[in-house]
Amino acid sequence: MWNFIIRNVAQRLILLVIVSFLAHSFIHLAPGEPSEVDPMNPRMKPEDIAKIRAAFHLDDPLYMQYVYWVRDLATGELKSFKDSQPVLPKIWDRFLNSLPLFILATILIWTWAFPTGIYGAVHRGGAYDRLTVFSSYALISVPGFFLSFLAILWVVGWFGVPVISIKTFGMEHAEPIYQAMDRVWHLVIPSIMAAIGGIAILSRYVRSQMLEVLGQDYVRTARAKGLKEDTVIYGHALGNALLPFVTMFGLLLPGLIGGSVIFEQIFAWPGLGRLAFEAILARDFPIIMTLNFIVAVLTLLGTLLSDILYAVVDPRIRLH
Amino acid sequence: MLTKRLLLLIPLVLVLFLLQSFFWVPTYESQSVGNPGRLRTYIEASIGDAKILNPILNADAASSNIVSRVFEGLLDLDENLNLRGRLATEWSITEGAYLLVNPHHRFPDGHEVTGPQLFQRITQALKAGLIQEMPGMTRPPELLPAGQRMEKVSIVLLDEQGKPRIVEIPLRVEVPERVAFYLTQVDQDLFNRLTPVLGERYFEHFPYEEFIHPQETVDQEVEASLKKKYPEILPAGEHNPTILFRLRQGVKFHDGHVFDAGDVKFTYESIMNPKNLSPRTPDFEPIKHVEILDPFTVRIVYKRLYSPAINAWTMGILPEHLLNEAALTLEKEKRGLSEEAQKTFGMRESQFNRHPIGSGTFQFIEWQGDEFIHLRRFEDYWEGPAQYQDFYMRIIPELFTQEVEFRTGAVDLYGAQPHQVNRYKNDPTYQWFSSLAFAYTYIGYNNRKPLFAEPMIRTALGMAINVDEIIEYLVYGEGERTTGPYPKNTEWYDPSIQPLPYDPQGARDILESAGWKMNADGWLEKNGKIFEFNLITNNGNPIRKNLMTIAQNAWKKIGVKANTQVFEWAVFLNDFVNTGDFDAVVLGWGMTIDPDLYQIWHSSQAGPQQLNFVGYNNPRVDEIIVRIRQEYDRDRQEQLTHELHRLIHEDQPYTFLYAPLSTRVLDKKIVLVEEGPDGQEEYKKIFPIKSGDITFYFHKWRKLEFTPNF
Repeated sequence: MWNFIIRNVAQRLILLVIVSFLAHSFIHLAPGEPSEVDPMNPRMKPEDIAKIRAAFHLDDPLYMQYVYWVRDLATGELKSFKDSQPVLPKIWDRFLNSLPLFILATILIWTWAFPTGIYGAVHRGGAYDRLTVFSSYALISVPGFFLSFLAILWVVGWFGVPVISIKTFGMEHAEPIYQAMDRVWHLVIPSIMAAIGGIAILSRYVRSQMLEVLGQDYVRTARAKGLKEDTVIYGHALGNALLPFVTMFGLLLPGLIGGSVIFEQIFAWPGLGRLAFEAILARDFPIIMTLNFIVAVLTLLGTLLSDILYAVVDPRIRLH
Repeated sequence: MLTKRLLLLIPLVLVLFLLQSFFWVPTYESQSVGNPGRLRTYIEASIGDAKILNPILNADAASSNIVSRVFEGLLDLDENLNLRGRLATEWSITEGAYLLVNPHHRFPDGHEVTGPQLFQRITQALKAGLIQEMPGMTRPPELLPAGQRMEKVSIVLLDEQGKPRIVEIPLRVEVPERVAFYLTQVDQDLFNRLTPVLGERYFEHFPYEEFIHPQETVDQEVEASLKKKYPEILPAGEHNPTILFRLRQGVKFHDGHVFDAGDVKFTYESIMNPKNLSPRTPDFEPIKHVEILDPFTVRIVYKRLYSPAINAWTMGILPEHLLNEAALTLEKEKRGLSEEAQKTFGMRESQFNRHPIGSGTFQFIEWQGDEFIHLRRFEDYWEGPAQYQDFYMRIIPELFTQEVEFRTGAVDLYGAQPHQVNRYKNDPTYQWFSSLAFAYTYIGYNNRKPLFAEPMIRTALGMAINVDEIIEYLVYGEGERTTGPYPKNTEWYDPSIQPLPYDPQGARDILESAGWKMNADGWLEKNGKIFEFNLITNNGNPIRKNLMTIAQNAWKKIGVKANTQVFEWAVFLNDFVNTGDFDAVVLGWGMTIDPDLYQIWHSSQAGPQQLNFVGYNNPRVDEIIVRIRQEYDRDRQEQLTHELHRLIHEDQPYTFLYAPLSTRVLDKKIVLVEEGPDGQEEYKKIFPIKSGDITFYFHKWRKLEFTPNF
């Protein structure tokens, strides 16, 4: 087991270097320049632009820029082109903002997908099952941003309450409980919107897993023993149907950054996804590179974690 | 079964908990119920976050918005767009001018030019009235003795890849004898008036090499660029416009420190410090030096005539005590930075840029990245505190989201899109303001291409386009026709110039007289070639894209074939506009109130990466543009700008289409609060000033609990 972990970590480290180098090249291949260099400023002379470019190492060869990036990241000196602020504290602040949204959306997905999927599997072919199958496909097909816009229009139009950002503005002098509940309310719509697609997809998985397990011999045996239907489903079948989902937990990690770009943008949520999006628009290479690096780390960590988790929950699998 | 119950119960409880929070949130009508502070809070929305809150470093709209509230300049623009004193109470512009002795020149009578001769002849000519009247000369000229000075000149050379190489060369400059003139007003024609004494071509062939001696040997390339700079280093006829500012006394920065002349000088020096990479350097580069005469008087001496320079003093003044070398060193040591970071540490890296302290109406409180910037009114502001207690700039990247927040009362101002304007105009909940933006949209023709070389052809192309229809249908009436390069709501624009008529038949006649004949396929043809070109624009602007299609269709009707294409912004700029490798473009300009159009229209600015990318070239226009930037008298400037406007209109290097209107919508409860003589508050409706700006009286704004009737 330890052997497996050490060997895998080493492999993944090598992969990480390759991924970050490739990402670095791709980002610099894209057209466009950091927006600090403002070509449309009529007063900017070519010399001024050249000086700024030199200060950001933009004229050095690509591999040197990569070396600078690695060096600055390692020493914590890496600064955003956009505002010259250190990159890591900036990312950490945004991470703290994204975290509640991510956790709540994840909890919603996992708590709703299971009952929905299980019920559909147990009452396969019934009206409920057909309804959920239809609505899952509908929700998977409709883009999340479109639903979000509809939801915002509906809530604002009917109830006249703010739904954007992480709190209502101008409430600094209100009672703490009002402020706390206001923050909860602001989480509701974006997290539901972020969760809907997830629920639709995951409940489909749950349904098919349950259907597969329910067709197994040991379920028939359990039923033949005369056990109650609930015991058969929730005691015998569910545990085995859950196995593949354990591994999905590991793969949730990278979603921390990439999963919420659209929703953070629409709901003006000051999180990591939006940071990444804006950094790309502004060609803020240090931020893009670092976030990309973190996603790569999280993905590699996630796959490692799911490999290990799989071995832990399924006694048939051994890691060598 | 427990599992089954839990599986059902947990999601239900969770959702119920989440949904109950709805009842704690305020609605549009109940904004101030239980929260009276909301009435004294103003919330604005911005598409992008600020980048750097420092008046000498910022370059984006969001930062400027905050910086203009936190910092204050020596001057600003009043209701009529004239300069008004803020941190300066008065200012006057005078001129010192110097005429060098040109030893290789001879007077018209063949006599050699020497210092005493030159001085004597000028004085005599002035006395005898041989020289035309010298406006503003209240003191007789003086003869200054020859001297010597050492200086360093830096030259930027670009290699083939466009990489800069900066060479610093120490110079010894021998200044010959010179005649000094002192004028109470700036006179750009001063030296021309001396022609009867000096004779023609006094300033050509001035022997710079005899006076300027590089102290290092340099290679040929450097030498060539250095020689080009000689007339700047030692001008044979030098104008030194001078501004004398008297500063306001008793003004405090937000930390209580008193503002004085040292802050003004420091701000100038910070801009010119190459380490700070300030985007404002071009505005301040013409300054020769800044002198502190006493703590509340500063004299700014300029190297050359450049009248827009005074507008640069509307820029906010920095507090010296927080950013000088000592303060930065202290900060550097406190922050425990690495050695590498310590070496490059400068004003750009200072925390000041995220916690600015100025002397403006609002003081900085907090900045949450991509969320909001919070300001609070400055109680000790010299003109009295503002009505609003708190100011927020929220960062909401989507226009849709901004509108939604506006309608729930979480934002106070919304810039309505053209298609929404009618809806808001008819809604009694809001007040709205429509005014011309400082911008226009145009079709630019590459004047270098033979196809577009003739003004007549460009005029014909313009006449084929129905601009009134474009305004009515494409921008929903939210635009006005424009005929030239200045914003319509400034004095520089000449309203008497008529726009091109919509006349496709007339256009066809013009083209036919130029030899373009309709062929069998319906295209115009000349010498076996049809009239065909590419019209391009940038991606992401639906109005420009539609304009392109409309123009294409209009031209098709007169037999001109335009192929249209849309490019991503970076590609559009780098591959087409900056290189001048295009036929025609649809674009727009945003402008300032500055009458100086050098960068956009002067023929010297038509190189790669420069803004006269259409390659417009008219010697008379060049001359006027230079005269405008050297003219310090507003009335004369206005005459010149009108002439410039007319010439450009006649040449039609662009087809000027329209100037967009911008519409802002506000909650009707926001009013202007005036204090009456008896201390009674009076409410007035908010109104726009000449430029269309509604926030000029922002310090008097407040939100009421009820909707007033005006």
